[in-house]
Amino acid sequence: MSATAIPATQHHGEKKTYLTADHTIKSWLLTTDHKRIAVLYLISISIFFFAGSLAAGLIRYELTSPRGHLLSSEAYNKTFSAHGIIMIFFFLIPSIPATLGNFLIPLMIGARDLAFPRLNLLSWYLYSIAGVIALLAMAMGGVDAGWTFYTPLSSLYSNTQITLTLLAAFIAGFSSITTGVNFIATIHKMRAPGMTWFKLPLFVWAHYATSIIIILGTPVVAITLVLVIFERAFQIGIFSPELGGDPVLFQHLFWFYSHPAVYIMVLPGMGVISELISCFSRRPVFGYQFVAYSSMAIALLGFFVWGHHMFLSSQSTLLGVVFSFLSFVLAIPSAVKIFNWATTMYKGSIHFRTPMIYALAFMGLFVIGGLTGLYLAAIGTDVHLTGTYFIVAHFHYVMVGGAVTAFLGGVHFWWPKMFGRMYNEFLGKMSAIIIFVGFNLTFFPQFILGYLGMPRRYHLYYFAPEWQIYHVLSTAGSTVLGVGFLLPAFYLTYSLFKGPKAPKNPWGAKGLEWEETDPVPITENFDHKIVVTKPAYDYDAEEDSKLYEPEHKEEPALTGGKH
Amino acid sequence: MAHAPAHVDPNADPVYFQYEDIDQQQETYIVGMWAFLVTEVMFFGALFLTYALYRWKYQGDFYHFHEQLSWKLGGINTTILLLSSLTAALAVHFAQKKKTKWQVGMLVLTILCAFGFLGVKTVEYGAKFEHHLFPNKSFVYGEAAHEAFEKEFGSHKPGTFTQIVEKLDGPEKHQEGNPARARLFFSMYFAMTGLHGVHVVVGIILFTALIYLIVRKAPTITDYIPTEMVCLYWHFVDLVWIFLYPLYYLIPK
Amino acid sequence: MADATHSAHHGHHITPQRTLFATGFALLVLMVLTIGAANYMPEPLKHNSVFMNLLAIGIALLKAYLVVSIFMGVKYASKLTKLFAIGGFVWFLTMFATMIDYISRPYEPVPGWEKGNSTALPRNEKAPE
Repeated sequence: MSATAIPATQHHGEKKTYLTADHTIKSWLLTTDHKRIAVLYLISISIFFFAGSLAAGLIRYELTSPRGHLLSSEAYNKTFSAHGIIMIFFFLIPSIPATLGNFLIPLMIGARDLAFPRLNLLSWYLYSIAGVIALLAMAMGGVDAGWTFYTPLSSLYSNTQITLTLLAAFIAGFSSITTGVNFIATIHKMRAPGMTWFKLPLFVWAHYATSIIIILGTPVVAITLVLVIFERAFQIGIFSPELGGDPVLFQHLFWFYSHPAVYIMVLPGMGVISELISCFSRRPVFGYQFVAYSSMAIALLGFFVWGHHMFLSSQSTLLGVVFSFLSFVLAIPSAVKIFNWATTMYKGSIHFRTPMIYALAFMGLFVIGGLTGLYLAAIGTDVHLTGTYFIVAHFHYVMVGGAVTAFLGGVHFWWPKMFGRMYNEFLGKMSAIIIFVGFNLTFFPQFILGYLGMPRRYHLYYFAPEWQIYHVLSTAGSTVLGVGFLLPAFYLTYSLFKGPKAPKNPWGAKGLEWEETDPVPITENFDHKIVVTKPAYDYDAEEDSKLYEPEHKEEPALTGGKH
Repeated sequence: MAHAPAHVDPNADPVYFQYEDIDQQQETYIVGMWAFLVTEVMFFGALFLTYALYRWKYQGDFYHFHEQLSWKLGGINTTILLLSSLTAALAVHFAQKKKTKWQVGMLVLTILCAFGFLGVKTVEYGAKFEHHLFPNKSFVYGEAAHEAFEKEFGSHKPGTFTQIVEKLDGPEKHQEGNPARARLFFSMYFAMTGLHGVHVVVGIILFTALIYLIVRKAPTITDYIPTEMVCLYWHFVDLVWIFLYPLYYLIPK
Repeated sequence: MADATHSAHHGHHITPQRTLFATGFALLVLMVLTIGAANYMPEPLKHNSVFMNLLAIGIALLKAYLVVSIFMGVKYASKLTKLFAIGGFVWFLTMFATMIDYISRPYEPVPGWEKGNSTALPRNEKAPE
């Protein structure tokens, strides 16, 4: 695929890209270019991902013995809290929207930038400040209340760095609100001529739904966390039973955001998967409108199921039954997506490239995560399973198996777009398979553990030493998983410097971001006016598909591949 | 306005590079602003929900606690805020008609109202502090608690703010209602009106910046839209107070 | 296109001064009404807290409607703006589903939260002997 129409007449000599346009630190830290901010986010969330993974490794190592052999009980509490807080607030929530979303939404809708570029930069700064505060809190002694900060533990009893951590979560909340407002304004008003709502890639739909959740939900948790800070500082009584308050109210307010937040994490992933499946099956997404509407349905319905986190919290059974029912209803739009992706692949011309393997892994893991969610949505079984490793396994299947897999798949898919280099395809496939295997080995035993009654957040189980085998299996799996995560870190970094130059459209993908821009766009996204005429996913399975192949397979990393 | 505004170039293109034309830019601003206002609604919403729960649970006690608040001072503040909302709306009106002097005048009036609001609020808060009704360590509510407090720390004379309030609202009312729930009520009062007060302060800053930019003829002030955005925010602040006033100052028995 | 004047198809609505002043006046009248109702309501209604609360909230909602529709211009604004305004308010109300929890607890009571007579026994408690 030869490069077409890359004149950009004002640029002499070697063409500068957004990465090389300016090399100074200042130009990076004060950039308002959405592509650069996406790269900044990619770096920051990777750091937090590895910090959170370290905590996870510690937890897994501790649990190999029924009596623990490394951490004290306090240290263990702080470790799993650190893992949860870092992973949720500083990795999962910004992961796909702030990196891939930031980078791709303007490119996909044919805009020159997001609607509010300076707000976008502000969002990254808020995120960074929040991250620094959270890490500071952990360095100053850590937090032991879990990522959920349930009152009255967090408001009355805990003597750890709760206030600082709450402040960090509060600021991080504003970082995501600014991103959400930005995306909504961008998607509403910045679309190129001809880019109607139903020509938008499903990735954009998913991010629109996510942004709706962000602007409706995040402020609620933000003010709730502030109330907990006040509770600690002034004893205001809102969550203190002895002053007439109700600690369960905190759970209501917290889950009013934090359940939809699950969809903040997984909806963008679903958007990524729609792109990957359709590209590597060479077929348009089956039932495009259903998938688009299902994103919106998930976003809106997701607000009415928060009580299923509270079946055992003195919430009234009447409301519990309603929430249980609605949680079952919410399974429908998720299932719509899975069915439509499966149908998209049917009779498609499937290419097993790295991103596609990640997408398939997503589908498998998300189905398991989603279906086990139904066990937990049913009040009766939830009484037995709540607070056990069954929950832990369930939400890791959704969060890691869903969101992280989709994130990695998306990063692999758009890597040539973002950095103009190809990574080693063999290592890529290996990493996807290792992650899939390691992930199942880590978390499947936890379903059994949970069913047997192993409570979450315990690090001692000497009363049931027969559980050790499952914990050892799980730890072994997490080691494999760790290798799977480290591998991309190495070969992707390597490809940045030594990888072959990427062609314009290595996957033969459709969409403005591939067809209308250079491999690595210059600071301006498009060098000509965009008018959209084709529908999204204009693939043809019969068409001779042009996928990138390295020229010399022996030394793929060293030669510049061109198609 | 002594030095030349070097950083404000009146000839700069008012349309930022990411927009096609001024219309698109303005519409996007409005969408962004409304999306932001929705987050604000939800932000205060959680507090209103908390309030609703405890009001429902302790209606009788809340009636007694609310007698400690002066509905007259609250009424003055409501009037001030409603008037400021009117001047803000008029500012947009004059901005649309390009009557810049009138527009700036209305904005200045709005700022004055905002300061008036904060002034009254200071008196109210001050009197609460003097009555030990701020939920910190020295919080005291109820006759018995006051007697115990005075035994330990000596009696306190009414402070300046209390005197101002008493001139308007008569002598201090008896502190009735279950003292164990008073802290909750006054915490909520300070949390909600305090957060509202913070919004008023932000509003003053925004209006000041806006006037500065208008007077300097900055290129960002292309037409009425910047004024409209700040005023939308201000109307929202007014909106919150419209609900706060009856919920805190006019609780029925 | 890119000048400060407005293209015809996006002609914005200028709310006349009369309407603005009338709205401001109406708001002040409503405020006086709500204060009067709270302080000088005749006897049988004054102690009907349901009526009094509904009245106060009703007047506040009316005032809010005036501010949103006239001052904030939603009445004259695009459908999208209306959607945001209504959507924000509706979503604010959805949070109040939480109240169902507290109101329905008597049906399966939790000690301390009973608001009425209930035939069910409190959780984890035996019937008094």
